[in-house]
Amino acid sequence: MSLKKVANVAGLLQIFVACSMFLTGLVAVLYGDSDANAFFLAGSMTLVLGGGTYLSTRFDDEVTLREGFAIVTMAWVTTAIFGSLPYIFSGVVDSPVPALFESMSGFTTTGATVFSDIEALPHGILLWRSMTHWIGGMGIIVLVIAVLPYLGIGGMQLFRAEVSGPAPERLRPRITQTAKLLWLVYFGMTAAIGLLYLLGGMSSFDAINHAFSTVATGGFSTKNTSFAEMSSFIQWVTIIFMYIGGVNYALHFRAITGDMRYLQDEEWKFFTIVLVSAAGIVTTLNFLAGDAVGEQVIRDGIFQVLAITTTTGYVSADYDLWGPGARMVLFALFFFGGMAGSTSGGVKALRVMLLLKQAANELRKHLHPRAILVTRIGGNPIKEEVAARVVGFLMLYLILCMAGALALAMTGIEPLTAISGSIASVGNVGPSFAGLGPTDNYGWMSEPGLGVLTFLMLVGRLEIYTVLLLFHPELWKSRKAYH
Amino acid sequence: MRVIVVGAGEVGFHLARRLSEEHQDVVIIEADPERAEIATQKLDVQTIVGNGASISILDRASVRNAQMLLAVTSADEVNLTACLAAKRMGVPYTVARISNPDYYEEDSVLSSDQVGIDLMVNPERECAREAFQLLQSIAFTEVAEFAGGRVQLVGLKVLEGAPVAGQSIGRLRAQFLPTGYHYVTAAIVRENQTIIPKADTTIEVGDRLYLLAPTSEIDKIPPLAGYDRFKLRRVMIAGGSLEGQYIAELLAQHGIECTILDHNRRRCIELAEKLPKTLVLHADATDLEQLEMEGVSGIDGFVSATGSDETNLLSSLLAKQAGARKVLSLVHKFQYLKLESTAGVDSSLSPRISTVNAILRRIRRGRVMTVASLSGIEAEAIEFVVSPESRIAGQALRDVDFPKNGVIGIILRGNEIILPRGEDILNPGDDVIVFATPDAIPTVEALFG
Repeated sequence: MSLKKVANVAGLLQIFVACSMFLTGLVAVLYGDSDANAFFLAGSMTLVLGGGTYLSTRFDDEVTLREGFAIVTMAWVTTAIFGSLPYIFSGVVDSPVPALFESMSGFTTTGATVFSDIEALPHGILLWRSMTHWIGGMGIIVLVIAVLPYLGIGGMQLFRAEVSGPAPERLRPRITQTAKLLWLVYFGMTAAIGLLYLLGGMSSFDAINHAFSTVATGGFSTKNTSFAEMSSFIQWVTIIFMYIGGVNYALHFRAITGDMRYLQDEEWKFFTIVLVSAAGIVTTLNFLAGDAVGEQVIRDGIFQVLAITTTTGYVSADYDLWGPGARMVLFALFFFGGMAGSTSGGVKALRVMLLLKQAANELRKHLHPRAILVTRIGGNPIKEEVAARVVGFLMLYLILCMAGALALAMTGIEPLTAISGSIASVGNVGPSFAGLGPTDNYGWMSEPGLGVLTFLMLVGRLEIYTVLLLFHPELWKSRKAYH
Repeated sequence: MRVIVVGAGEVGFHLARRLSEEHQDVVIIEADPERAEIATQKLDVQTIVGNGASISILDRASVRNAQMLLAVTSADEVNLTACLAAKRMGVPYTVARISNPDYYEEDSVLSSDQVGIDLMVNPERECAREAFQLLQSIAFTEVAEFAGGRVQLVGLKVLEGAPVAGQSIGRLRAQFLPTGYHYVTAAIVRENQTIIPKADTTIEVGDRLYLLAPTSEIDKIPPLAGYDRFKLRRVMIAGGSLEGQYIAELLAQHGIECTILDHNRRRCIELAEKLPKTLVLHADATDLEQLEMEGVSGIDGFVSATGSDETNLLSSLLAKQAGARKVLSLVHKFQYLKLESTAGVDSSLSPRISTVNAILRRIRRGRVMTVASLSGIEAEAIEFVVSPESRIAGQALRDVDFPKNGVIGIILRGNEIILPRGEDILNPGDDVIVFATPDAIPTVEALFG
């Protein structure tokens, strides 16, 4: 384990972070807001510290598997820390903890906020929140790999540690090309969403902010009421792009290059079927509960199901007022998440599907004790190790949710709110139920509580293993690292 | 016709023997001097010791004058290379024996005209196809196809109480003629003696009949020999060999429920990955308790397909005793093929014989188009083409001086399938399937020559 390499990559990343701060600062100047100086100060600090660290820790050997985990985790932690500086310097928060929470929530595309009056925030801060979503959405490491090939083979280790899903696929033989392509698709989608929002009558500032937030399946909005007061056109556009954001980017990329494979992809089918049935159930229940029959109740149902499943966390209706059945469906979806290889959080459709098939096999094994049963996804057999890893993942995921809820409850939060906050943070969703419902925010929470949630967001974004491995003593033993 | 056979293993040896008996000029190329020596002594062929994929060896076999090259060593790569080289050197027709599924595909680019392997034969797949055909019917112990599958030769035993038992061939014919009869009795095996039946031959219980029939009529035969209706619904395969795997694939394609078991855990995992619709069990082929737990008693079909002949026979016996209805056994050693019927196994299959038959069935050579040799009988079915010079052409069959140990089975005229009667006349261009014992074959050939 070489701390030098860890510091090097983390430092390098801060150069990007600093650049985005300067860019945001320029916009703040444009709007004549008071917070411009905060960005230039934060940007300079980040640049000096990050750049200095980067230059003083150059290395030429390869990144090992173990170092990969540490590098990715520490890169995210430092990015979140530096990303919190603008909040502190501009004085919109009064202590570093909520600033770090807001920053982590941004980079992990959770979209949980500590601000109660968002519309009162200066333009620079609003843009910075969306910017952190956008940077974090595709993955900050993927960004580094795309721009700087110097990580070489080691890049793959980092890629694996950051990209969502059990088995990230390479679209191109070279990892750098894969990362570049992913960003290209991401960039194109951002532009498309922005243009559609403009077309729907948003101001250019709101359009950019929401485009960043939507494409990253983040959840930050520039409005206090999130999407509740947006036009139905804008809501439908958002529905479509939340869905697209929840689908594996590899599929999008193939489709763009003329190789449509959505229908052949079993995970896609599963994901889509779950979404359609969940939206159907929620809408039907809302009808039965006496909501006015019309386009809006359908739209609200679909919007909330997608906002939660893709872990975007936008709000178009106060779902906490819906009936128990509809709320329970949404609660289940908090765990589900999007497809592997998407920008969403949660357990991921692929893992859920695999676990269901695995469970069905276990059932069948009781009938044929000597049967050798293989779980298949899309006709391809899944190796036992992979299946076991997924079972382990789910276990850790649930333990993490429970442990987080326990820790929150210890700070004096009601159990239901604690559980909701914990699963919404691990799944990177954002808003939740009870005291953290769609119309609430996290501003009232104590600093220890915010600290717990900040940690949960990070662990959830990096899909549990990457972060938890840092707490495994064997990772730090000086034995020659294996590749 | 000059035919080069690369490899004198069991497949190559039998091919060479058959072709040489059909008066073809056969050259065998064999790398092992001892095997080459055996072939020289037992067969009327020329042998060259060397690697069949080597250009200089192929040259020595004067490959440029050959009309056909059959590469049937047990090494796929040698076979492929030999065929590719031969094609380049001007051999019009090449056949390769290919076992590795990575090389063997139905429409492989290798078999295209430019590259030039005209026929790829996969022994394990041929064997599986035969097993699948046999499983379809509880009655048939042997099945061979003719005329591209339009006609079949089947072997089956006459059971107690069968409608045909105790009747003479002539009476049966007279009885069925008004409603249209479905088959031609080509041969009867009684106490290991092959009888080519005449009108006065009587069928007895216990006889094994060899019948030629149009494929569309084949289902009508088993009830005549006393068999109940049978529909294949569930099959168990003991042994995860390649043959076993291919049989499971065929069954899955036809929607038949199938269980396959193997004692090797790793192979089981491999099979489970390759066979999504098949239940794979990690169990021993001779563990009766396991077989019974998985429902071997009353199962429609059971195939023992391990790599060991002894295990296969034992496993088949256990299955038969437990009440499996149709039991097939894979047999690799030629000597064991005689054993089956007495051992209670319904039929045995040999991948090598399947290969020989598959190759002979698909290569056209002069007047002889197809030959089927069956394991349990001393006679062969041969498909001839009638030419204008044939002595047999233009005469009513009752006037032809046909050898006693031969019978004209079926006549194929265009799309028509004719079950011959005395007044029928053979025309040039007709395909005729003849069934004859070896001593009668030269006379038959002379008639068609």
